[in-house]
Amino acid sequence: MSDKQDRYKILVVDDEPDVEPLILQRMRRAIRSGRYEFVFAQNGIEALERLNLEEDIDMVLSDINMPQMDGLTLLEQIPKVDPNIRSVIISAYGDMENIRTAMNRGAFDFVTKPLDFQDLKHTIERTLKHLIEWREALASRDKLISIQNELTVANKMQQSILPTRFPKDTNYNIWANMEPARDVGGDFYDFFRLEDGRVGIAIADVSDKGVPAALFMMSSRTLLKGTAIGLEQPNKVLDDVNDLLYEDNDAALFVTVIYAVYSPEDGVLTYSNGGHNPPLIVHSDGSSTLLPYIGGIALGIAPDMTFPQSTVNLAPGDTLILYTDGVTEAMNADQEEFGMERFQEVFKEAPPMSSQEANQAVFNAVHAFAGDTIQSDDITCLTLFRSEAGS
Amino acid sequence: MTRECTDTRHLGKDWQVNISTERDGGALVIKTEGRIDGSNASNFQNSVEAEITTEDSAVILDFEQLNYISSAGLRVILLIAKDLQQKSKKFAICSLSTLVREIFMISGFDQIIAVHDDPGAAVSALQN
Repeated sequence: MSDKQDRYKILVVDDEPDVEPLILQRMRRAIRSGRYEFVFAQNGIEALERLNLEEDIDMVLSDINMPQMDGLTLLEQIPKVDPNIRSVIISAYGDMENIRTAMNRGAFDFVTKPLDFQDLKHTIERTLKHLIEWREALASRDKLISIQNELTVANKMQQSILPTRFPKDTNYNIWANMEPARDVGGDFYDFFRLEDGRVGIAIADVSDKGVPAALFMMSSRTLLKGTAIGLEQPNKVLDDVNDLLYEDNDAALFVTVIYAVYSPEDGVLTYSNGGHNPPLIVHSDGSSTLLPYIGGIALGIAPDMTFPQSTVNLAPGDTLILYTDGVTEAMNADQEEFGMERFQEVFKEAPPMSSQEANQAVFNAVHAFAGDTIQSDDITCLTLFRSEAGS
Repeated sequence: MTRECTDTRHLGKDWQVNISTERDGGALVIKTEGRIDGSNASNFQNSVEAEITTEDSAVILDFEQLNYISSAGLRVILLIAKDLQQKSKKFAICSLSTLVREIFMISGFDQIIAVHDDPGAAVSALQN
């Protein structure tokens, strides 16, 4: 900030000719120190002209009774020039009627004639203090608005990088959805076709939420996809992405990931786990299997890690469900978690017939369970359905 | 001494994290009670770091009374571990509940942070 911070320009409006020399004399110390600068006008019209000409006037000190335009009329005009100027009115002693009118028209304070200069100094200082606080409040409000705008942009960017054109093949289909808890979240999902005809699928959860998590999420997603396209083995992909994320990660953010490669021909799923909740497989009879814990650490926290890998076969009619802890840890009003048991319960009576159906069933169940309870974590779910042979 | 790390009293006791400290040999044992999540993680980190003096050669977080830790909480555990490593102090956690143990296992954090059954085991492991 400039030194404008502690220099203030005060416009004095009074038709009595002795006011100008008196103020300049009695306020000479504050004028000499540079804190106050006084400018003068003889009536309301002249005051408005000055206010329009000089944009840096902070405060107006005005008499009430003046020719051409009086102080009470001037009070109504000042906010039209600049709503952030503060006014103090000079009234005759005991003239409560005019003082009330002035206050109702937005005067910040009043002083009475004959002027007590000690009191006037206090009043000016108090007015300026209020003005400083007011300006700070305005500045932080503007800052907040601009941050909110940035968050909205970040949210849009984040949503737009998540793929929404879901593959629908004769022998498999994929569906996914991410509901961020705040404006920007730390979860993501991804799927892409690999050169050998197999499909890469991923789900991930970045520690914490908000803007830093969102930036970490963006780079995790790019690194994962970039690495996956060049490497066949899911665990080798995580080995590499982990080292890339570990470099320069002073903020100690991390991401838990499941990266899997699915072969649509024979239903073989090869997957690696980086500290993420194990996948769930729902069978065509409504029963489900939680895949066993295979080890693997969250990505970005330790270098040169070797990630585990496992293989599972999807039978026709099976649905693979990748999810983040936003699903299992969704809370209801009684502070109970949705949990794995309720999760598996969703499909018991109604085994899904497609990935989209399975996905929507998960979100419907979580929403019904949570009710109006505020969502505290991103909820993300990716589903892959292996169609019945020939259907 | 005991201190509250956050002003979340309106949410009830289950939503706070409180710490209390005692010293065993050269080790500072910090009992952690409640839950650590995004709303209080960085306050928890500050409170823990404020308790550590230059005389402490090891720090042990006792999680016996910890009900839950989110990924934001795991992140500050990692930051505390990194900070202590830089100051050449040893670090361990102990007495994890079933749920918290599972969170440390699934995320793989038990592979980089020493986990012990109780404070006594942690202190003797860190003294060796």
